Amino acid sequence: MSILPILYRNIKWRFHNVFTVVITILQPMLWLVLYSAVAGQSMQGIGIENYTAFIFPGLVVLVSFSSCSSGGIMNYLMKTDGSFYRVLIAPIQRSSIVLGQILEAVLCTFLEVGIMFLVSLLFSVKIASGVTGIAFIIIIIFLSAFFMAGLAYAVSLILPNEVVYETAMNAIVLPIFFLSTALFPANTLTGGLGIAVNLNPFTHVINALRALILESTVIYADMIKVIILLVAMSGISFAWAFNRLSKE
Amino acid sequence: MTAICVEALEKTYKNGVQALKGLSLSVQTGEVFTLLGENGAGKSTLINILTTYLRPTSGNARMLGKDLYKNAAEIRTEIACVAQRTSIDTHLSLTENMMFQSKLYKIPKTEATERMKALIVAFGLERYMKYPVSSYSGGVKRRLDIALNMMSNPKILFMDEPTVGMDIQSRLAMWDMIKKIRSDFGTTIFLTTHYLEEADQLSDSICIMKDGKEIVQGTPLALREYLRQDMLQISFATKGQAKEHTAILAQSLNIKKMEVRESQIIFNVDNGLMEFERTNRFLLDNQIIFTGIGIVKPTLEDVFIRLTSDPAKEVGS
Repeated sequence: MSILPILYRNIKWRFHNVFTVVITILQPMLWLVLYSAVAGQSMQGIGIENYTAFIFPGLVVLVSFSSCSSGGIMNYLMKTDGSFYRVLIAPIQRSSIVLGQILEAVLCTFLEVGIMFLVSLLFSVKIASGVTGIAFIIIIIFLSAFFMAGLAYAVSLILPNEVVYETAMNAIVLPIFFLSTALFPANTLTGGLGIAVNLNPFTHVINALRALILESTVIYADMIKVIILLVAMSGISFAWAFNRLSKE
Repeated sequence: MTAICVEALEKTYKNGVQALKGLSLSVQTGEVFTLLGENGAGKSTLINILTTYLRPTSGNARMLGKDLYKNAAEIRTEIACVAQRTSIDTHLSLTENMMFQSKLYKIPKTEATERMKALIVAFGLERYMKYPVSSYSGGVKRRLDIALNMMSNPKILFMDEPTVGMDIQSRLAMWDMIKKIRSDFGTTIFLTTHYLEEADQLSDSICIMKDGKEIVQGTPLALREYLRQDMLQISFATKGQAKEHTAILAQSLNIKKMEVRESQIIFNVDNGLMEFERTNRFLLDNQIIFTGIGIVKPTLEDVFIRLTSDPAKEVGS
């Protein structure tokens, strides 16, 4: 399969640039360790017993955004000092090039989520829904990262340099994160803000992950809805990335 | 057999710049073909089109008997391109870079390993294998770039100004490498350059292009009068002095066409040494004060001027 050489090359790039893993996991880790400890005490008053477990799903989404954004940086580096253009005239499909790069970002996301999960165990975070819940969590994380990596890939082929790209990605990621239920329950919000949070697809992704972590019963209908939503979003972002690469 | 045949190729970019204006050329299998033109002549655009990276606005292009656009996927397996900038992944080792290229072209592992070993020896890369690619000098990176592009055993190798920015030693080494690729691997080489000497030394066939269109195509022998034309250059202290002596020199030495550039008079001569001696003697005998005299080789611009002013410019290959 043509995807594998691209995936291999990108994994090697990630190992060669380990700092990209450290940088992208640093901020979510600070939220997990410091913010959850500080904010946890005040949140007990509104009925949240383990605030670390409460914000963990939001941080999973945040770390997936960060690691996938760094995948876009790879395009800039490979264009200036790498095989970007050589690959484009090789007998390999454009879709394989995009997929290889997206899958590397997905694997990096799983690595970082794994590290965060190990750390969260120290804060008594457990997955209450068991093996079925873990399977759903893996699917949801995979699709979330796939969507974000496709988006990052497309954006990186539009914007002229890394600085503009980083600024644009922050402008996309931070509103998505803060206008969601990542840090607080949705039922406390009313009016326009409440509507904005509900329209944010990642509110539903975070709610689904939270339900799988905190609740022992899996509500399949809710999970299927979220998965269908993410499949559609991933399809759109992949098509956009493919379209941008075809125009290169 | 014709390796590349291009007819009336045009390319206009979205910003309105017309890079190619009905260019036509043909390249024979197994030859070193040089596309000679100044910066901005459209050489890189043509290479980008022929390597299937860009689509032309109009015109036809056939490569190895196949239509370039209908059979782009098939053609990609038979070509490789050494771009102006090296395209090596510095996070991969020398062997990983070469094996990555072989995987892109779906070459079986045992065959790829054998080929890699042969190319490492052919391009003198053995002693660099244990060092990280990022520590290589520009010249070694360029050699690796060519070697890894040869991994797929391409029938046609495109080289976009491979010697640009190189010192003379590196340039000579590159020339040897190009000759070696042709003789050892039988690869058709499509080379672009803006150095006359390079085109003259390396090529079996040369196409000179300007402003997106070919001016002439032929063998170095057929283009000899343009590429190897001797020119005599007489330097004066001022431009005024140069202009002042143009008429008397033209009349006395029977020179039909002279050009004044800054403070120098320049004209074409058939026999450089003989004309140098004759002109020098004339200047001294007539006590004309000049600051220097010498035989110079034509620049690309000189060749363009001659070609565009010569009504019988069609040169057979």
